[in-house]
Amino acid sequence: MAEGTPPQEPADIVVIGSGAGGAPVAHTLVRAGHRVVMLEKGPLLRTQAQSPQGLSDFKRDESFATGAEKRITVPGVANTGEAYFSSHVEPDLNDEPHVYRDGDGADRVTIEGYTAQVVGGGTQLYGGVSPRFTPDDLRLRSFNEGRGDLRADPGGDVLREARDWPVDYAALEPYYTRAEELIGINGTWEGQAKTPSADRYQPPLAPNPISAYAAAGMDALGMRRYRTPLAVITRDHAPSGRTVPRDPESIKTAFVNRYGDPLGLKSNTWVSLLAPLRGGAGRGGFELRANCTVTHLEADGARVARVHYRDPAGRPRVLAARTVVVACSAIESVRLLRLSALLDAAFERRINGNGLLGAYFLTHCFGGAQCVVPERADKSRTLDSDWATDHCARAEWIREQGLWAGGVIYNNTSDGALPLSLARTWHAMDMDSIWKGYLYDTSLVGDGFEDYLEQSFGRRLSVAFMANQVPQRTNRIELHPTVKDKWGRPAAHILKTWHGHDRALMDTLAEQCRRILAGGGRTGDLSSGSVGHSVVRIANHVLGGARFGTDPADSVLDADCRAWNFDNLYVTDGSFMPTSGSANPTLTIEANAFRVADTLLGRV
Amino acid sequence: MKVEIIERDDQYVLNHCTKYLARDTSDPRHDFGQYGPGDPRAALCEAWRFPVVDTHWDGVSAESSYPFNDVTFVHDGRAAAPAVVTVTGTFGPLHAPVPLRPLLFAGEPTGFFAVTVRVPKGQVHTYKLGVDGAYVVDPVNPQRTVLDNGETWSRFFTDACAVPLVLGRAERELLGRLVAHLLPFRLEENRRFIRGVYESLDRAARNEEFPLAYQLDDEVGTVNYIDKLLARQEQHNADDYRTCLRIIGDLLRARSGGLDPATVPPEMYADLYAQMETERVEGWDHGRYGSPRHFLLLLRRHAMTGAFAHPRHGGNAGAAGWMYLENRFRDGRGDTLFDWRRALESPLGNNTDYRG
Repeated sequence: MAEGTPPQEPADIVVIGSGAGGAPVAHTLVRAGHRVVMLEKGPLLRTQAQSPQGLSDFKRDESFATGAEKRITVPGVANTGEAYFSSHVEPDLNDEPHVYRDGDGADRVTIEGYTAQVVGGGTQLYGGVSPRFTPDDLRLRSFNEGRGDLRADPGGDVLREARDWPVDYAALEPYYTRAEELIGINGTWEGQAKTPSADRYQPPLAPNPISAYAAAGMDALGMRRYRTPLAVITRDHAPSGRTVPRDPESIKTAFVNRYGDPLGLKSNTWVSLLAPLRGGAGRGGFELRANCTVTHLEADGARVARVHYRDPAGRPRVLAARTVVVACSAIESVRLLRLSALLDAAFERRINGNGLLGAYFLTHCFGGAQCVVPERADKSRTLDSDWATDHCARAEWIREQGLWAGGVIYNNTSDGALPLSLARTWHAMDMDSIWKGYLYDTSLVGDGFEDYLEQSFGRRLSVAFMANQVPQRTNRIELHPTVKDKWGRPAAHILKTWHGHDRALMDTLAEQCRRILAGGGRTGDLSSGSVGHSVVRIANHVLGGARFGTDPADSVLDADCRAWNFDNLYVTDGSFMPTSGSANPTLTIEANAFRVADTLLGRV
Repeated sequence: MKVEIIERDDQYVLNHCTKYLARDTSDPRHDFGQYGPGDPRAALCEAWRFPVVDTHWDGVSAESSYPFNDVTFVHDGRAAAPAVVTVTGTFGPLHAPVPLRPLLFAGEPTGFFAVTVRVPKGQVHTYKLGVDGAYVVDPVNPQRTVLDNGETWSRFFTDACAVPLVLGRAERELLGRLVAHLLPFRLEENRRFIRGVYESLDRAARNEEFPLAYQLDDEVGTVNYIDKLLARQEQHNADDYRTCLRIIGDLLRARSGGLDPATVPPEMYADLYAQMETERVEGWDHGRYGSPRHFLLLLRRHAMTGAFAHPRHGGNAGAAGWMYLENRFRDGRGDTLFDWRRALESPLGNNTDYRG
C-alpha cells in the first residue's frame, strides 16, 4: 500500500457511533435486510456471557469509574497542570480534549460533556433514567405563544428562540413504545404526564428503603409519583435474548451509574440492539468495527461519498458509502461535520450555509436538593432512582410559575452508595472537581472521619430535577483555534452560558426539590442548588447544535434528520433537538433514531 | 514450571491497545513528571496498562480461578514490522521464550503482537521481549528494574501484590504512621475490630476466603496500596513521597530529640498534620518541597482509596475496610447496612453470577 492511498471498501450504509443515536438505525436497517457497517471509536467491551473467555471488561471496582490521577498537559489553557480523574471508557483529556470557555473568559479543558467512548456509547455508563418527554416539550413555541408573564426575560428571548419540533408527540409515540420494548425498561405508568399507546415496561424491583423519604415528601406536596423508568431489565428480555439471575433482587447493585454492567442487565444499546444482530439474526448483515475513529467525511456534490477513518492500529482507511448516519453525540458530531467542512469549502457551504451548525447547543437545566435522613439504609442494594414525579412538567404548574417549560423530578439512590464514591463526590460540583471537596475538607480525619461516616454513609438522600434550557444562538460548538487532538485535528470548543430565565427556572425547581425532602420526615442538613452558577456543567446531556426543523434557513437538518443540502447524510444523536426536553434525553434520542430509521427504509 | 497460555481473542487485546497506543502525535502529552526528557513513552496514554493484568477464569470454578491473573504482553511492531516476537521472563522457564501472535483487524495484520499467560496473583516478575532474536526491554511499559547483574529488565506485578517495590522499610513505617492518623482505624474500638478481622482470618477460613490477605495492621494495607500505585499508575507522584517522607522524618527526629519517627507519640503526628494543612510547618524545608498541604491532600486521597478500594489493588487487605463498614452499620435486627458481599465476586464476596 503506497503512502497516501488508503484502501477503499464499498459499504451500503455507514453508521458512525454505536450509542443511542446510531444503534436504533443499525438495528432497524439490518433487521430489514440491509447491510450496515458501524464505526465506533471506542472498544467493544463484552458481557461475561458474550466473551469467549467468560469474563467482562467491565468490573465492579470503584477504580473503573474514577481511575488514577492524571494531569492536564494541554498547552495554553487555564487548567494546564491540574489533576483529573476519569472512567476507563472516557476519553483521555490530553489526547482528545474538550475545551470550554469559562465564566472568567479563560479556556479550560473539561471531562464534562463527554459520553463514554465504547460500543454502546453513553448508554454503557448512564444511570438508565429513561422517562419520555412530554407532549408540551415538543411544542414550546406554540405553548408560550402570546405570553407576557415569563420571568427574567426582559428581552423577550424565550418567545423569540423557542421552537416547535417538526414532529409532534403523536408522531413520536409509536417509536417511544418501540424503544421501551426493544431497549428493555422497567417502571410504572400510573401518575406520569405521558400516556403510552402500549405498556412495554417490565415491573420495577422493590425500592430502596431510603427512597421512602422522597416518596413521603412528594405525597405531602400532592405530587403524583411513579416508579422512575430505568433501563435495566428485571425479567428475561425476549427481544434481546437476555436473561436475569435467579434472584432478581441481586440485580440491584450500586455499581450502576458510571459503571458498565458485566452481566449486561443494564440496557445499553450494545446488549439490547446491536449484539442481537450478530450471527444469522441480522438478515442483511451487520459489521461492527470497534476502535475505529472517523476523521472526516468527503462529499461529491450533494452526496457524502467517502468516510475516512483510522483503524485500531491508527492506519487511514476509507469506506465508500451510499448512505451515512452520523451519531457521535452532539459535540463530537458537530465537530466531525466542521472538520469535514474545514477540508472542503463546498462541504462547508452545504452543511453550514446558514451559519447554524454548532449553534443552539443545549444541555439541561438541572440541580436538586440533598439531606441526611434519620434512618440509615443499605444504599448498595439499589438501582439509580426509585421515584419520579411530573408535577412540575404540567402545563398549569409551568404557567403558574411564570416559566416557559418544566422538568421531571426524581430521587437518586446510587449516589455516594459506595465508600469511595461517597468520598470523591463529597461536595464535588462536577466531574472536574471530583475528589476536591473531600480533600479540601481537612476535618475528615480520625474522629472527624468517624462523624463523617456516621452522618453520611447510607443516610444521604438527594432529589434531582432535569428541565429544558432556553435555546441561545451564542451557545455553540466550534473548533478550537489552537488545541488539537492526538490525530492533529482541532478539538471541540464549547461556548455556553445560562439565560436569566434558566436561572429563574432552576431556582424554582430546586426549591421544589428542597420542599420534597423537607416534607419527607425528620430530615436534616438540607440544602438545595443548581448548576446556574457554573457554565461547565452539562450532566453529559449534550444536545442541539444541528437542530432539525421545517425551514432550511432556521435549521441544520430537515424533519427526517437529513442534512438539508445533502441527499444521503443523516444525524441521529441528540444534536437534532431544537429544545432539550423536561427529562433525561436518551430514550427520546433512541425513539427519534427509530423514527428516522423507518424513513430510511424507504430510501436506501 | 510450564507457562499456561490463555486464549484471549484479538478483539480483547485491541480493546486494550488502540486508545493508548494509536496516534499521530509524538508530543509528550502523558508526561506528568514520571519520564526523563525525550522518553518516547511520554507520548503514550496510560503506558502503565502494559502488560495488561486482568481477571482469570478457568471455566470451572471461582475457587480454582481466583488465585490467578491473566497477563497479556503486547508488542507494538507497527513501525519495524518484525517477523518473530517472543517474551521471556521469570513467570516461566527462561530457556523457553513464549511466542506472541500477530493481531488482525479485518483480516489484515495490525502490526501489534500479543500473548496472554496465566500468572499467580501476588507476584512480581521481570521479563524481556525477543524481537527478531534481539532481547529488549518492553518499550511501552514504564516499569523497569535493574537486576543484580546491572541489566535493566521490564517488570510487572499481579493483583494483591504485597512485595515492596518503591518505598524502603523506613519509608513504609513512617508512611504507616501518617496514614493511620488519617483513617478511622486508629480509634481504639476500631483497632480492636480490625484486629478481630485479621485474627479470624488467621484461622482455617483465611485460605479459602481471603487467600491474599497478607498484612495485619491498623492501616489495612494502605501503605502497600500506595507503594503499588507509585510503582505503576501514579509513578509521577513517587518523588513527592520520597522527598516529603524524608522531610517529615527529619522533622520528627528533630522535634523528638532524635527518636525514630516511627516510634514518636501519635500527638506529634496530629500536630504535624494540623500544621501541614495551613502550609505553616515549623522546620519544613520549602526549598526541598514547596507545599506541605499539597502532599497532605495527595496522602489523604491515597489513604482513603487504599483503605476502601477493591483488594486487588493491594490495599483494603482481606477486605478489612469493607468489613469494618459492614460491621459498623447495622439495622435494628442486626442485619448489615453495607452488604458488599452480594455484588462482589466469589470467593471474595458471595456473588456467583459475577466473576470479577
